Amino acid sequence: MNVFLKELKSHRKSLIIWCVCIVLLIAMGMTKYGAFVKTGESVEEMFEALPDAMKGIFGFGTLNITEVMGYYGIFFLYFVLMATIHAAMLGASIISKEERDKTVEFLYTKPATRNKIITSKILAAFVNVLIFNITTLISSIIIVGAYNKGESVNSDIIMLMGAMFILQLMFMFIGTGIAATTKKPKLATSISTGILLFTYMLSIAVDISDKLEKFKYITPFKYFDAKILISGEGFEAIYIVLSVVIIAVFSSMTFIFYKKRDLNV
Amino acid sequence: MSIIEINNLTKYYGKARGIIDVSFNVEEGEIFGFIGPNGAGKSTTIRTLLSLIYPTSGNAKIFGKDCIEYGPEIRQDIGYLPSEVFYYDNMKVIDLLKYSASFYKKDSSKRINELAEIMDLDLTKKIDDLSFGNKKKVGIVQGLLHEPKLIILDEPTSGLDPLMQQKFFDLILEENKKGATVLFSSHILGEVQKLCNRVAIIKEGRIIKVEDIKTLQESNYKKFKVEATTGLDKGYFDIAGVNNLETKNNIISFIFSGDINLIVEKLSEIKIANLWVEEPSLEEIFMHYYKKED
Repeated sequence: MNVFLKELKSHRKSLIIWCVCIVLLIAMGMTKYGAFVKTGESVEEMFEALPDAMKGIFGFGTLNITEVMGYYGIFFLYFVLMATIHAAMLGASIISKEERDKTVEFLYTKPATRNKIITSKILAAFVNVLIFNITTLISSIIIVGAYNKGESVNSDIIMLMGAMFILQLMFMFIGTGIAATTKKPKLATSISTGILLFTYMLSIAVDISDKLEKFKYITPFKYFDAKILISGEGFEAIYIVLSVVIIAVFSSMTFIFYKKRDLNV
Repeated sequence: MSIIEINNLTKYYGKARGIIDVSFNVEEGEIFGFIGPNGAGKSTTIRTLLSLIYPTSGNAKIFGKDCIEYGPEIRQDIGYLPSEVFYYDNMKVIDLLKYSASFYKKDSSKRINELAEIMDLDLTKKIDDLSFGNKKKVGIVQGLLHEPKLIILDEPTSGLDPLMQQKFFDLILEENKKGATVLFSSHILGEVQKLCNRVAIIKEGRIIKVEDIKTLQESNYKKFKVEATTGLDKGYFDIAGVNNLETKNNIISFIFSGDINLIVEKLSEIKIANLWVEEPSLEEIFMHYYKKED
């Protein structure tokens, strides 16, 4: 309990900054939408004229960006990117910082098992990730609602945030797993964000080129496609299973490897 | 009962040597010195005892229990002061100490204040703002606040001014009187000499001797310095029992342990200008352990 509370406290400031940033991002994005809608159909035609590759890079695909949910769906990709970067960095640093800051000799000589300390840390990271998600959810509902003239979109937003939460958890555990395994704690955060950016690039590449279609299973960013989610088809079972597997693998990796290895003092 | 029982403990970091075949016991109530030059393996041994790292082979028991298997349980009664102290920079001293105390079953708030007073430590400051010496004081309070039965100190005095060192030694002696066993690692022999009952000497990862500090000092080590009238061959004194043999401007010096008459006989056969016979310091006694395999 003490480790959990201490971790919550020490990440409070950075969490607030991340949350403020995401709210600003949503607010700014939706202000642009307001301007978009006024210019009307010409914008839509302009985007239609873009080559498929460009659409892929910007994440447009088949979404209609003059509809509020279509527009939000494109932005969703950027929220996800931010949320997963937050989660991956948090997961990696919450485990590796004790070694990085040389506080292992303090914490791990206390009468607590490594498992217990790691569990508390992961719980604290989980709470941070959850708060970030809820902040995104609530601010999205409020801000998108202000621009929405049609039927309610709240259930779509909730579904997207559910997808984002699964992605956050995946990258959080990828972070903790890498931090627990690597012998160089200073690199844990870089490696985790590196993996994240690589899989993100891969997801764009899959969008652009049909030949890379089969890679869609190895990049979590392809698991939850906004346009499929909000078109009413919902979650695909195969991706849910894959997500659960990734979370299970990396979380057990965290516990097993951290318990067995020599700590860097 | 032995408080610490180390059996053939070996640790390799990959291929790099940590410690090899280390064995010794620390008995209840003693202050046990652990002496060796930097890089000899003192910290490796201690970190294995605290299960920060795991041994390659061999084992160690603390309070009769395996230090890895029962690590969390036995650490309830261990206080540890590392050689370099690092804490969470943006915490206040009092918050850090309370955090530390929260891991132990007993209520330590009274003891925190007592110790802070003895060590003259300002509890309201931020860790980040503390000098090296003051951080060390936080370390001392942190290591003792739960009144541990076993105190492990890894080169504890670096960064403390002489006055604080004295206060710290008094504190350790007092804890010892109350029943705490102490494992005191250091490369400064003087301080070990002051505090400890027994010492283990470690060199290049191996224990080379475990001995009573008194025996070490009393074991008939004499330091000889002979000034000859004529040029004298250094090899003249090179007999069994002679160590640290050195020649400088007609003065030959060495440390001798053994039958003193052998040296007296040797001396009687030459003309000497001057002669000094002294009690060697522990440093000098140990020097030949360190040098032996050079």
